[in-house]
Amino acid sequence: MKKFPLLLLDAGPIIKLFELNLWNKLLQACDVTVSRTVIPELKWASQELEDVRIDIEFYEGKGLRIIDHETATVASFYSKLSSLYKNLIEPDDGEVATLEYLLSSSEKWILCTADGPVFRLMGSLGRGEQGISLQELTDKVGLQVGINWAKISPRNANWWKFTKKFREVYTKKGQIDATQGQGLL
Amino acid sequence: MDIGNRLSKAREAVGYTQKAVSEKTGIGESSLSDYENNKREPRFSELSRLAELYKRSIDFFLTDKPIVENVMLWRRNPDTKKKKDTEAEFRQFCQQYQRLEVIMNEVKETELPYAKGKAEDFSFTQADHLAEKARNEFQLGDIPSASLKQTLEEKYYVKIFHLSFTGGAVSTISEEFGPATLLNKDSKPWVRNYDLAHELFHLLTWNIFDHNDFKHAEPSNFEEQLANAFASKLLLPTDPVKERIESTATTDRRIKTENLDEIAREFGVSLEALMWRLVSLYGKQPTDIEKWIEQTKNMPSIRVKRIPDKPNELPERYCSLAIRALRDGRLSLIKFAKYMLMSYKQAQDYLTEDKDLTDEEVSIIVA
Repeated sequence: MKKFPLLLLDAGPIIKLFELNLWNKLLQACDVTVSRTVIPELKWASQELEDVRIDIEFYEGKGLRIIDHETATVASFYSKLSSLYKNLIEPDDGEVATLEYLLSSSEKWILCTADGPVFRLMGSLGRGEQGISLQELTDKVGLQVGINWAKISPRNANWWKFTKKFREVYTKKGQIDATQGQGLL
Repeated sequence: MDIGNRLSKAREAVGYTQKAVSEKTGIGESSLSDYENNKREPRFSELSRLAELYKRSIDFFLTDKPIVENVMLWRRNPDTKKKKDTEAEFRQFCQQYQRLEVIMNEVKETELPYAKGKAEDFSFTQADHLAEKARNEFQLGDIPSASLKQTLEEKYYVKIFHLSFTGGAVSTISEEFGPATLLNKDSKPWVRNYDLAHELFHLLTWNIFDHNDFKHAEPSNFEEQLANAFASKLLLPTDPVKERIESTATTDRRIKTENLDEIAREFGVSLEALMWRLVSLYGKQPTDIEKWIEQTKNMPSIRVKRIPDKPNELPERYCSLAIRALRDGRLSLIKFAKYMLMSYKQAQDYLTEDKDLTDEEVSIIVA
């Protein structure tokens, strides 16, 4: 059995994995699910990168599952977000549909993202343990990123958002929000 | 939630037929028809694709709030399709700008000094007074064109974009994102200065001429003349311009066209605009001005062609907000690239770690 049978991936980590040439290795180690709403972001990015072509749909059925969402379900979820989170997360962002899917499922999905507000919302809803950083994910499945994570500080904006520390900081912020009644209405 | 109506309105606003949308998105025409007639809802990924094509945020389709579209006033109207494309692009940039202000907690409330009164009472004298008032209140000094744009952007938070499009300039006031102006990137700098001043008149008198109502979506000829008079007075203030002209004139009070062009350059306007200003400054006859303008058309331009004649499309404050939002982790790299009109690869440069940075934030005590 693969190490993560229920792994949701967001756009940021997918692009990073492609850049690091680790995508295929990840698919060997995990069953990956992505929201169809994330795909335009990847396609858009791939069109602009000269050296990396991200054709994510090519991997569908080869360790990758692509899921779609009912508009009404996503809309209902988004309407329940408090104004704080509506300011932080836009419905245009691919991760909104992914978050709704994770939160409404009876299965314990794990979401790998590099988006602070997503970790924060999960923290505020008491779902912090279902979030994972790219650092933790690659560590757990034994992928060599070739970077000394311990040396990454918040000033290193290019890598910071993929660290465990980043996830912890934002999850903690969400937990504080929860004590102030923020999160879902 | 009435997604169908909103889909239909958004499609019409960019001037596409269902067939054209189908070709561009791969969503079947019958499905599009069903969606617009609320027979069934699009999947979320389809809605996302449609929102992208229509240059709308998904929020537009998901909200229950009434649809509020803003009038956009045009200077030199293009054909309908081009007009709709430009308006959609301009609106999207303004919404992105407003979004950046929200996520960075920098929504500003400062209001422009809007004019008061009734449209039927508004005369050239009032346009003159309004220009004088604006010059004083904005502290524009003797050469207003030098600081007008920056004052409007940084002190009054007017959203000013420069895009390549057919037409002169566009202005609007939205409840959502406030006052905004679009200038043509391809226009000469002195034409853009004049266009901006002209559009400022429309912003300041927006309520007087009732431009919140689509019945008044086109300014009347008289209103355009007032806007021109305002722009002329604002950019070419009486005393500084007269002083400059008279110090250059010969003893028999004549001035060479070449010298007049030099003065126009100093004030950041075209020779033609300065010549028209002579009507009110020295009581010249419009017919004479027309004749002189005709004569100068064959005159070779002596103005230096400057490299930065093409302005940045995006306002500096907008870019600054976007960069800070990215580095604070409040804006994704993908969205940043989209907002900044740059490739993903170029966007990454804004995240690259500088070698000399430490973990310590640099801060200075000022109080």
